[in-house]
Amino acid sequence: MMAKQQTAFLWKVGAPAGQGVMTTGLLFSKLCAQSGGNVFDYAEYPSLIQGGHNTYEVLCSTSPVNNRAWQVDYLVCLDKVTLETHEHRLRSGSIVLFDPAAGKISPTGDYTIIALPLKELLAELKANSIMANMIALGASWALVGGQRKKLETLIAEQFGKKGAEIVKLNQNCADRGFETIVGNTTTTITFPWHKPEKTPIVLGGNDAFSLAAAAADCRFYASYPMTPSSSVLATLAAWQKMTDMVVRHAEDEVGVVSEALGASFAGVRAAVGTSGGGFALMTESLSYAGIGEIPLVVFLSQRPGPATGLPTWTEQGDLLFACYAGHGEFPKIVLAPGDVTEMVVLTKQAFDLADIYQTPVLVLSDKFLSESRMVLDSEVVERELSTPPEYGKTIRQVDELPYLRYKNTDDGISPRLIPGTPGTHYQANSYEHLEDSHTTEDPEERSMQVEKRLRKQATYLSNHWQMPSIEGSLERAEYIFVTWGSSKLVVSQARDMMDQPTAHIHFTHVYPMDREKVAALFAPNRHYVLVENNATGQFGTLLRSEAGVDIKHSIRKYDGRAFYSEEILAALESA
Amino acid sequence: MMDINPSSLDFTGYTPTWCAGCGNWGIGKGIELALKKQQLSPDRVIMLFDIGCSGNMNDFINAYAMHTLHGRALATAVGVKIANHKLPVLVTGGDGALYGEGGNHFLHACRGNHDLTVIVHDNSVYGLTTGQVSPTASKGKKSRSTPSGIIEQPVNPLLLALTQGATFVAQGFTAQLPQLAELITAGMQHKGLSIINVLQPCVTFNKENTYAYYIKNTYKLPEDHDKSNFSQALEQAQSVFKERFPLGILYETTRPTYQDELPQLASEALAERGRFEKSVSLLDNFK
Ligand SMILES: Cc1ncc(C[n+]2csc(CCOP(=O)(O)OP(=O)(O)O)c2C)c(N)n1
Ligand code: SF4
Ligand SMILES: [Mg+2]
Repeated sequence: MMAKQQTAFLWKVGAPAGQGVMTTGLLFSKLCAQSGGNVFDYAEYPSLIQGGHNTYEVLCSTSPVNNRAWQVDYLVCLDKVTLETHEHRLRSGSIVLFDPAAGKISPTGDYTIIALPLKELLAELKANSIMANMIALGASWALVGGQRKKLETLIAEQFGKKGAEIVKLNQNCADRGFETIVGNTTTTITFPWHKPEKTPIVLGGNDAFSLAAAAADCRFYASYPMTPSSSVLATLAAWQKMTDMVVRHAEDEVGVVSEALGASFAGVRAAVGTSGGGFALMTESLSYAGIGEIPLVVFLSQRPGPATGLPTWTEQGDLLFACYAGHGEFPKIVLAPGDVTEMVVLTKQAFDLADIYQTPVLVLSDKFLSESRMVLDSEVVERELSTPPEYGKTIRQVDELPYLRYKNTDDGISPRLIPGTPGTHYQANSYEHLEDSHTTEDPEERSMQVEKRLRKQATYLSNHWQMPSIEGSLERAEYIFVTWGSSKLVVSQARDMMDQPTAHIHFTHVYPMDREKVAALFAPNRHYVLVENNATGQFGTLLRSEAGVDIKHSIRKYDGRAFYSEEILAALESA
Repeated sequence: MMDINPSSLDFTGYTPTWCAGCGNWGIGKGIELALKKQQLSPDRVIMLFDIGCSGNMNDFINAYAMHTLHGRALATAVGVKIANHKLPVLVTGGDGALYGEGGNHFLHACRGNHDLTVIVHDNSVYGLTTGQVSPTASKGKKSRSTPSGIIEQPVNPLLLALTQGATFVAQGFTAQLPQLAELITAGMQHKGLSIINVLQPCVTFNKENTYAYYIKNTYKLPEDHDKSNFSQALEQAQSVFKERFPLGILYETTRPTYQDELPQLASEALAERGRFEKSVSLLDNFK
């Protein structure tokens, strides 16, 4: 029988936590990407180290992909639970790899089960049970018609550091898995695999933040581990020897942000990373950054709250908290990348804006964006990484004495002198202060400083704020989707699946926003649909208060999972 | 570049607003003497002031400075020193700030042996918020927040610092200015975390821990006290439990500082170095 041609497929592997699913998934994704597929991959796992159910899925396509897909074409079950949990996402014709020794199953759908005798093969290979993931990897690669040799080279690359013996064992297991499937041509497909012109780069949101921070001249990063931000700490820490960045795991989030402010005052670009709970602890210091006019970049990767919430799942639930965090009134800039490329671009920009406006800049992510990996256009990324930073009015010498740290200026921005510069001194004062930085309670001086600080916001709106991006024709669209942050991904995909004309307004520079310009995008009698991964429609609230725009129709999801396009389509149909 | 104006390089700032007779006057003087003795100038030192009567020194002493949040001066200083380890960094704050609100930072700064000098104004009260008990208040002390007397026993700052790993631990008394200035100088000369707990009468809100009380209950460390001997230091620090307050350097040892352990700081200060320009090569990690 002839093998079928296929242009896209979704592969998913599941196993109990601790069984190496992350490695299998990552390697499968790399095999696909290095063989010319466009991949989008994502892992889901409970907040447990052992036990619990972990999955990794890879969507691979001939054209660029920007979200997950609902239908699973290949389900690799390292246990029975995997089949039971994901059976509802199989279609007729899906293929399931399953070890009959794992227990009795009673399939309910019209899908094909291929026996993969993992237990038997492990015994034959004298390998311990964790190696089942390598057998599954090899079997999977054979199923999608991949090149056998590729397995061997990738495994050598991946495990090289662990020694020849480990490499060989992994190669043997994978190859045995491959061989078990390869004869079975009735079920294999051919995907137009090819050697890509340039080795593709596959990045997730946290990877992108880390890269862009290093490129943006960030020299101090402090954090206290909290999912889903922790991998930034690990990545930047691993790169320290090369980048010379100082990466600190401090005692708590209050210490984290205080240290970053100290480093920033003393003249280096500094950032912190956390999730909602840790960010809550940082808010007092955010306010100090506001009045002391100390640049600071905060990476806030959201997870579902309140409190400990669902630590390893996703939500866009901290938008309003981020925008309004910190006591007192001071300017703050909140950026929300919608995909991994935007994460690179906006992180670079965040560091510039923090210096230019001498105030905190927040980069919002969420578990879905932080950990979804996609193929990026390496030219765009390289260009972005190579663009030198802009430091604004940061100065290293003074031309005039007395030096006024908080000088009242037309744009609200006062030249910021790096401490240690000879001939003068000043303080970064958390109390209200005079232009020369001494403490004051004088009503006129107070008002002047309040106005000066808030003028920076107006300057930002006219010089750096960016309008939302618009796709499709706002005039002709039957539905105009409105998104911020990671819900961009599902909407782009859903629009491709719709027959009606649609448009998409996507916000990245979410706070503050230019009231008039934003309001002008919204016409009466058009159908706007706001898509948000939260329960209360926070961006809708923000649009009402910041732009006077009221969107009536919104699609929300708050079960800890990201949207599927199918859910968007279904929600529109039932509306 | 403009000429340096010598008058702007004097440490004397605004006239302090402390109560007449407050122990903070002595500490302010002690710091100024120590800075001058080391021939520093306001552009060659970074000071971190916490929030409290003590921290109000921000306007009275000239220096590159941060007047931080309550309890955060020490944590903030950790970042300052990493960013520019070439400048001396001095932290001053109250006992409420450093042992209470910022207590966790205190423990971890000791562990880390960051190269900082920390002066704690120990007045057993929250001066600025009108006299509530601080963590060093004696058990049973009555105050506005503890009308029936504080239930907890006091923190022992010296023992705390010693056991958590500070490499220089001293105690001064604000009424003994020459010794205080020497302790601050020695603390700043020491490489690593220096804790100087300073007994500081609050004449307005503390009627127990007065000058007379401390004159009676302080003592000079014995001539044969060996400050390199950890057990002897622990011994002296314990006399505080018997209301006897040793004055002088209890302990000094050498251990690599946090900054010494960072290869990134081996040559220039982080703030002075050139930018990392090879970020594109990091993309290899994602191929
Ligand atoms: C987060 C926070 N909580 C409370 C206060 C109010 N406050 C200001 S100073 C202070 C205590 C001061 O005591 P201490 O640190 O011992 O300094 P002292 O005034 O005795 O020198 C308090 C509670 C504050 N500024 N910030
Ligand atoms: S209240 Fe006490 S600590 Fe504060 S200035 Fe007056 S005497 Fe000094
Ligand atoms: Mg006090």
